[in-house]
Amino acid sequence: MMADAQQRTSVPFPGDETLRQTGYRRLTPDNTRIFEGSFSLLHCHVEGGGLYRGVRAVLMFPISHPDRYISLRYTDERDQDQEIGVIEDLLVFPEAVRQAVRESLVRQYYERVIHRIHSIECNYGLLFFDVTTGQGRERFVMQWRHDRAEDYGETGKVLLDSLDNRYIIPDVEKLPAADRRVFVNYIYW
Amino acid sequence: MPGTERHTEENLLPNSFGFRYSTNPHVEEEKWERRRLCRSFMKLFAKGAPAQEPARPQILVGSIPASVLASAQAVGLSGENCLFSIRSDMDLRGRPCEVWLVVGHDRMAAFTADRLEVRVLSGPFEWRKASKVRNYQTVGSMFLQLRLDEMYVDVVRFSNGFRESFGRAVVQLQRLLKGEPLNPDALKAPSETRCNVCGLPLPGLRASCPRCAKRRGIFSRTLTLMQPYWLSIFALLSMMLLGVMLDLIPPQLTRYLVDHVLKPESADMLAGNSNGGFQGFLERMVLGSASWTRGDRMGILVVILACLVAASAIRQGVNIFIGRVSSLIGTRITKELRERLHRHLLHLSVDYYNRHSAGNLMSRVLYDVDYFQGFVHQVAHGFLLNLLLVLGIGTVLFFMNTRLAVVVLLPIPFVMVGTTFFWRHIYPRYYRLWDSQSKMAQLLTGFLQGIRLVKAFSQEERERARFSSSAGYMQQARRSVEMSMATFNPIMGFVFGLGGLLIWWAGGEKVLRGLSGEEGGITLGTLMAFFGYMGMFYGPISQLTMFSNWVTGFLSAGQRVFEVLDSSQMLPEEPRPVRLSAMKGAIELRNVTFGYDPYHPILKNVSLTIEPGRFVGIVGKSGSGKTTLVNVICRFYDVQQGSVLLDGVDVRKIATEDLHRHIGLVLQEPFLFRASIAENIAYGRPDAPPSAIMDAAKAANAHDFIARRPNGYDMKLGENGSGLSGGERQRISIARALLCDPRILILDEATSSVDTESELEIQKALMNLCKGRTTLAIAHRLSTLKNADRIFVMDDGRIVEEGTHEELLAREGIYSKLVRIQTELSRLEGGHDG
Repeated sequence: MMADAQQRTSVPFPGDETLRQTGYRRLTPDNTRIFEGSFSLLHCHVEGGGLYRGVRAVLMFPISHPDRYISLRYTDERDQDQEIGVIEDLLVFPEAVRQAVRESLVRQYYERVIHRIHSIECNYGLLFFDVTTGQGRERFVMQWRHDRAEDYGETGKVLLDSLDNRYIIPDVEKLPAADRRVFVNYIYW
Repeated sequence: MPGTERHTEENLLPNSFGFRYSTNPHVEEEKWERRRLCRSFMKLFAKGAPAQEPARPQILVGSIPASVLASAQAVGLSGENCLFSIRSDMDLRGRPCEVWLVVGHDRMAAFTADRLEVRVLSGPFEWRKASKVRNYQTVGSMFLQLRLDEMYVDVVRFSNGFRESFGRAVVQLQRLLKGEPLNPDALKAPSETRCNVCGLPLPGLRASCPRCAKRRGIFSRTLTLMQPYWLSIFALLSMMLLGVMLDLIPPQLTRYLVDHVLKPESADMLAGNSNGGFQGFLERMVLGSASWTRGDRMGILVVILACLVAASAIRQGVNIFIGRVSSLIGTRITKELRERLHRHLLHLSVDYYNRHSAGNLMSRVLYDVDYFQGFVHQVAHGFLLNLLLVLGIGTVLFFMNTRLAVVVLLPIPFVMVGTTFFWRHIYPRYYRLWDSQSKMAQLLTGFLQGIRLVKAFSQEERERARFSSSAGYMQQARRSVEMSMATFNPIMGFVFGLGGLLIWWAGGEKVLRGLSGEEGGITLGTLMAFFGYMGMFYGPISQLTMFSNWVTGFLSAGQRVFEVLDSSQMLPEEPRPVRLSAMKGAIELRNVTFGYDPYHPILKNVSLTIEPGRFVGIVGKSGSGKTTLVNVICRFYDVQQGSVLLDGVDVRKIATEDLHRHIGLVLQEPFLFRASIAENIAYGRPDAPPSAIMDAAKAANAHDFIARRPNGYDMKLGENGSGLSGGERQRISIARALLCDPRILILDEATSSVDTESELEIQKALMNLCKGRTTLAIAHRLSTLKNADRIFVMDDGRIVEEGTHEELLAREGIYSKLVRIQTELSRLEGGHDG
């Protein structure tokens, strides 16, 4: 699928230009000014579009393209989420802008990445995990249900604990062999 | 000063997690710490599930925690003007730390209790100046935000585990912004997401705690399933014991045969006189085998052979009994379990089905349940039998010759160690195999259901490649398992074979010693018997090493089955529900707020009233909440705030069968069962006479096309009504609704997926259907609602306009805009057609 997506982006298709005319708004350094405004929030001025305040950055392909295709969004006066446009490549913006957008992304995502699995105990239909994440040694409880461990990309898993917190294993195959064995004993789907 | 307050029973209040807490934060923190230490101590001795940390207070009403008090006072927030304080677990960048949001009468600010220097994380904010307050969900965390200066400002961030307490806080802040008083009880209500006794997160909102409910393990629960058959199981076990005893007989008879009957004696003796009749025979028996004649030996040989035949026959009889009884119990258990699963599935809420794929649930009912039959088989033939055989034969071997018995046991440690390593190695491979099978099944289901799409987009090659990749994955997984097995089994065979060779070596030496009359020798018959028992001993050992394989499969299948049975996603039923034998059809929604995810409302404070017998239209763009509105009226879901009333009674109090009997539903995609047309029409009234079925079909404009079918109303429909056009299927579903004569009729885009000609037919049918009933019609084609008594326009989960077609047109709002767009579209379509 990933390869398919890359193929779609790399091979020109005759209808793409037509689609582009009605597609999303591309935000580039030429048409967009992004800066930190009041309350330290991201503000964005788009040529012909005006000023948007309190802007949030959201990744459109958080797994396959975590550094590209960043949608800038704001909440309108009717409390509806609206898109301002999409930054296809953040690297073409100045460093200050890159910093500000990345800061916004930090606020948008809160996922703990699991590096080690020390133990999993199963009791009462619940799995008690003892893991090491990027934040250190942690314990969490999740229900032993198929919908609580979903695929994350091709080889990863995202675990939702009983309180809906997200724990990511980017690639199950890359876990240490003993950890992987413990993991697939319970999360085998 | 808080530290100098007196602590009486009156100022100890239950907090949001049911613990009693003091209005003095010092005492509260101290108590929490004491409880935590106590729990840590208990953990050292606890067995079973890891203990949960006690839920720490998350909301303090009217006080500021001591850890941030000084910082709060520095920005003008003090104990006197504090409304409440609420704890979070991270700063705005998501770094874990203890954070307290302190809400005062006019201002609020977030402070960290962990850092020595920068203690104010955000604020202070003049929150009374905010136009709105909300909790905003991001990926994995949330923000409490204030709308200040026309934009939302992040005040505090928290992980999803704190959603409940911040959800309550936001409701109170919204009340305060509207000028309503603070409701401290709402902040202190017991948690609905964690057990208030042990602190364990609950499997669903208000679900029972699995730990406190003492849910047992899969094996234990499976044994409970077998309880009604205890008599049969007792008989099975008795037969199994008898079988094991019978299995022990043949080698002993063989031993006697070799040592006494076929023993080489002198030719004279063999040719001796066998006269003397039966008495003579008995005398020779007493004297021993040395005095036996050839005729005697032949007679004994025949008797022993007859005993062997009898033992074998009885053994097979026992096997037949065990097989038949275990099959009887096994099939009954699986039937009952399937029925239980099906019953449970019928009562699960619609929400459950949104979260689980049909294929996944099907495989649990169809295939996973079969493992329970395997459980009975294991009891009857597998684990227990093998264990008994190993114990029984082992005992006999030791009785026969201790030293040889030890030699027989020599390979066992190697087998055990080898098997342990082997299963560690093969478990992940097995799981991968199951995963590959499941993924291929999903791929095939999708492919078969979407075959028309595949053809329309000419994606056959791509599908072929996808299938090939999946088949390759499955092949690799299976090959990996089978190659491991192919290596393991011969190695184990070799180890067992070595055991046999050791017996030849040690046993042969003893036989030779016996022949030369030395001490410690054995007879050839004993050695033969040893070999007989050894085969019977190693077989069960080998089977027992494979037992863990079966256990793994059974546990995962059992987990999937009990996962469904333990799902508590059912709507609660009143203990004494209101029975509505008749209904007028009045509908009222009072301040309804609802979201499929409780923290993401789809319907936002919706109120509406529909009088009985009225035809009401619901319009709005996609995602505005129209179908959600229908879902809560039908009580497919319970609302989180407000209430839905039918004839003035809250739907949560109405008996479910009465509620659904009075509501008729016609959906955009009609669902027909694999049954005859008549059975499909009479689905809600199975006892309806043929005349009523035909009347309903006639009113639904379905009668004529049914009459044209060779088998008329008896025509069997395929999966989901295959064999009929979309319009025909829809008219059958209308006939089905008509036959039940519901007081409330809900039409959810009933004509949007059919062609114009069919739509005309269906519109005629619907006119018949709506007469005298309260009708709620959701339609994209606004022309179908022109004659509605009232039209509600929805936008972003709210009712934004209400009136007749003419009134709404005159208002020049969303409705008139939608009408203009559709008129323009019709004109364009007309232009193209022309």
